[in-house]
Amino acid sequence: MSTPTHLTRAISVIAHVDHGKTTLSDRLLEYTGTVAQRDMVEQVLDQLDLERERGITIKAQAVRMLYKADDGNTYQINLIDTPGHVDFSYEVSRALAACDGAILVVDASQGIEAQTLANVHQALDHHLKIVPVVNKIDLPQANPELVREEIEKVIGLPAESVIFASARQGVGTKEILEAVVREVPPPTGDPGAPLQALIFDAKFDAYRGIVTYIRVLEGTLRAGMRILMMQTGKSFEVDEVGIFRPDRTPVEDLSAGEVGYLIANIRNVRDSRVGDTVTDEARPAAAALPGYRHVTPMVFAGLFPTDTEQYQQLKEALEKLQLNDAALVYEPETSAALGFGFRCGFLGLLHMEIVQERLEREFNLTLLGTAPTVEYRVKLRNGEEIPVDNPDHLPDPAEIEAISEPMVTATIVVPSTYVGNMMELSQERRGQFLNMQYEPGDRVVITYRMPLAEIIHDYYDQLKSRSKGYASLDYELVGFEEASLVKLDVLVAGSPVDALSMIVDRSKAQQQGRRLAEKLKTLIPRQLYEVPIQAAIGGKIVARETVPAMRKDVTAKCYGGDVTRKRKLLEKQKEGKKRLKRVGNVEIPQEAFMAVLSLD
Amino acid sequence: MERIHSLYLHVPFCTWVCKYCDFNAYAVLEGLIPPYVEALSHEIDIAGTELPIGPLETVFIGGGTPSLLTAAQVRQVMERVRAIGLAPGAEVTLEANPSNITGPNVEGWLAAGVNRLSIGVQSLQPDALRFLERLHSGMDAIAAIRTARAGGFANVNADLLFGVPGVNLAAWLDTLEAVLAEGVQHLSAYELTVESATRLGQEVRTGLVRMPDADDQLEQYWAAAARLEAAGLAHYEISNWAQPGYRCRHNLAAWNYHPYLGCGAGAHSMFRLDDGSTERRWNVKGPHAYIKQTSETGRALDGAETLSPERARGEAAMIGVRLLDGTGSARDFPEQRRHLVGAGLLLEDNHQVRLTRRGVELANQVGAAFLGEVASPQ
Repeated sequence: MSTPTHLTRAISVIAHVDHGKTTLSDRLLEYTGTVAQRDMVEQVLDQLDLERERGITIKAQAVRMLYKADDGNTYQINLIDTPGHVDFSYEVSRALAACDGAILVVDASQGIEAQTLANVHQALDHHLKIVPVVNKIDLPQANPELVREEIEKVIGLPAESVIFASARQGVGTKEILEAVVREVPPPTGDPGAPLQALIFDAKFDAYRGIVTYIRVLEGTLRAGMRILMMQTGKSFEVDEVGIFRPDRTPVEDLSAGEVGYLIANIRNVRDSRVGDTVTDEARPAAAALPGYRHVTPMVFAGLFPTDTEQYQQLKEALEKLQLNDAALVYEPETSAALGFGFRCGFLGLLHMEIVQERLEREFNLTLLGTAPTVEYRVKLRNGEEIPVDNPDHLPDPAEIEAISEPMVTATIVVPSTYVGNMMELSQERRGQFLNMQYEPGDRVVITYRMPLAEIIHDYYDQLKSRSKGYASLDYELVGFEEASLVKLDVLVAGSPVDALSMIVDRSKAQQQGRRLAEKLKTLIPRQLYEVPIQAAIGGKIVARETVPAMRKDVTAKCYGGDVTRKRKLLEKQKEGKKRLKRVGNVEIPQEAFMAVLSLD
Repeated sequence: MERIHSLYLHVPFCTWVCKYCDFNAYAVLEGLIPPYVEALSHEIDIAGTELPIGPLETVFIGGGTPSLLTAAQVRQVMERVRAIGLAPGAEVTLEANPSNITGPNVEGWLAAGVNRLSIGVQSLQPDALRFLERLHSGMDAIAAIRTARAGGFANVNADLLFGVPGVNLAAWLDTLEAVLAEGVQHLSAYELTVESATRLGQEVRTGLVRMPDADDQLEQYWAAAARLEAAGLAHYEISNWAQPGYRCRHNLAAWNYHPYLGCGAGAHSMFRLDDGSTERRWNVKGPHAYIKQTSETGRALDGAETLSPERARGEAAMIGVRLLDGTGSARDFPEQRRHLVGAGLLLEDNHQVRLTRRGVELANQVGAAFLGEVASPQ
């Protein structure tokens, strides 16, 4: 089974979301016989139900294929599938660090988009050899020649190296595999050197404990070996090493260049840290490998169980989920309105949505998420600077010297017709214009410097709707900038609801307060009592709306035969109420906490 | 199992199924009534031998339109009921459509042992009757009450509907006044309820019909309540009023959570088990299936459920609070009671609770409070 190093390859597939990389990966598995056609479920590599349902990849996946090339050699190709959505670019980064090459997939009708560029830049940062592929050439609106030209002009890869493919129809699969074995360099490591293996992912398995995904860069890893985690200093005895075909398959050893997993009776989630280096305790490597770019959460939100008794379950669920999702951070939080929960940091809104959905589905919890916010830096008059990731924790204005907010460079790629709309939107969102560049294929790349807070408030949805779906977005954190910001508070039935507070631009605060109150009025269902909703800035009420009391809820007829039906109806309504959070005497639905996201 | 003293018999046939009705009723299926009566008789016989039942204190023949049965058919059914055992002074109600209330029928029903007639008047307003698709006129309805009383029925109920589109407060009170003038002992006033699976439901969904708003409905309701109280009919359940001594004992049994047997297509039964749990069963709905299954096996069960003692207590309280004089059925729910009293929906008095005026308007909110958390289906 062992393959000589010079016949080993490690690659990733990178692309803008929805350009077909998972389908392409499936074709590669099929073509190399890694997965028999009859066992082929669509999107083999998307293991989470959620991934198949949404048709997106969230987690990077690793698999080993054997390919008999035209040169007569059988190559071992390690493939790591990566997610495409902007929220998950850190997963891409983790995957790329474990590779020597990347297949770049570009949709033949969509062309190069914002994340295509972002992923290419990441791949180049990791010195990967890129194999460009124009996919979906079977679509009627496909224009592969134009996209090929675009790849040469925008990315700088020679047009002749571009492979035309249709992953759906299996066109181009062989050409891609040939290019991989020809173009991508073999690993340079020495199987005899002291062990250095990079952890690029980890999963919790209920039966085996933690399964650590690794790429061996130097040396050889064997079952029975005592290993040392170089960052944490913990050591473990390896029970099993193996590869993904695509199911876990034990092997005797993994040597330099190979990708696989190890199981070592690791129980604590923190002992298998992504980016750490695994070495041989008896013969340790001189130094750890450079870790990954540290993943920083961009948006923060509170997650609270609607049933307070589920707090402990939520805590355990977060611990387990964090193992599969290194980007998720959390710490306990107490809200006067919502009780005990956790403040969580996410990579973006989709990431947040997915974490909440996974917690609810996989751990059977009912959660309430508060509106996401960014992390502000607040300089106090006493000279201290504190981070604030919860609007309710903003200190008293009298103590504040200045507030800084995170800024991003946003890259928008859009057909020229929509440039005006994009600029208008970005200016409304406090964007500062940086650059505009016309590319072949009627494509314009616009860059703006803007507050991250503006992006997370439905900027992306607006971008899509104002460009008929054509615009794509990528953004990158570039630092902090002082801004004139105030806290907007919301009082429901006279009591402040901390979880509804938001930090807003001072000049827009009044207007936002009015809109928020109006919106909450439509979202909070009628209660037994009339419910006043007020928005306040610094204790001054700037808007007031009232949810009228429930007028009538009575069934005229309830005789013997009606009882079962009536009881079931009332039980169902009550079940629906579980999704509401009781704050004082008022039941507030999840949507109300998200109202601040779309006030335009 | 607690002994059963109440029997409900369902007759699922109507000359015309009105557009607001979602009961188990079918436009008369020609020739189906005789075999149905046979099947019903058979089911009563079998149940009588298998269950701890009788002597019966109440019998209620409902529908549908039970008055479509001939006097002889009613007599046949009542003979089977007597075989189970009928207590002296038992209340035996028959629901009747005004169109069927003729002298000979009245005579025949009385002779068969029926002693309470519940008449589906609904309204006396021509527009309302047309809207509701009733086949009788207001004058027919008044004449029917008179015929019943003159023929010897001393216990008569009239069913009325309020909140009908196009009927204002004054017109509604006119109907009420005219019916009261006929000297009925009992009156049920129901708010016209839009059920989604009816033609009315469809018309409301598509915007063809607009229902009066909650304020107008409640105005008609409370105006009627005041008028009825003044006429000496006590408001004893959300939609029911009666002169002293004329409350419907059959329905009181259900509201007080006593068991009953239901026979006929789609009929529900409720049994109280010794451990405090409740069993509910129901028959197949369709008359064809009912006849076939009953003739083959003597029963036509479609489904059943058992409620734990705890859930049964909640259900008892949910139904019990509908009794406006008060109920002791909520005694095991001190926390809910405190909350509901605090919200102004309940009054508490000596371990009894009763709905306030606002509580009546929000009776479902009160009822739901006693229903426990139910695990969601996974």
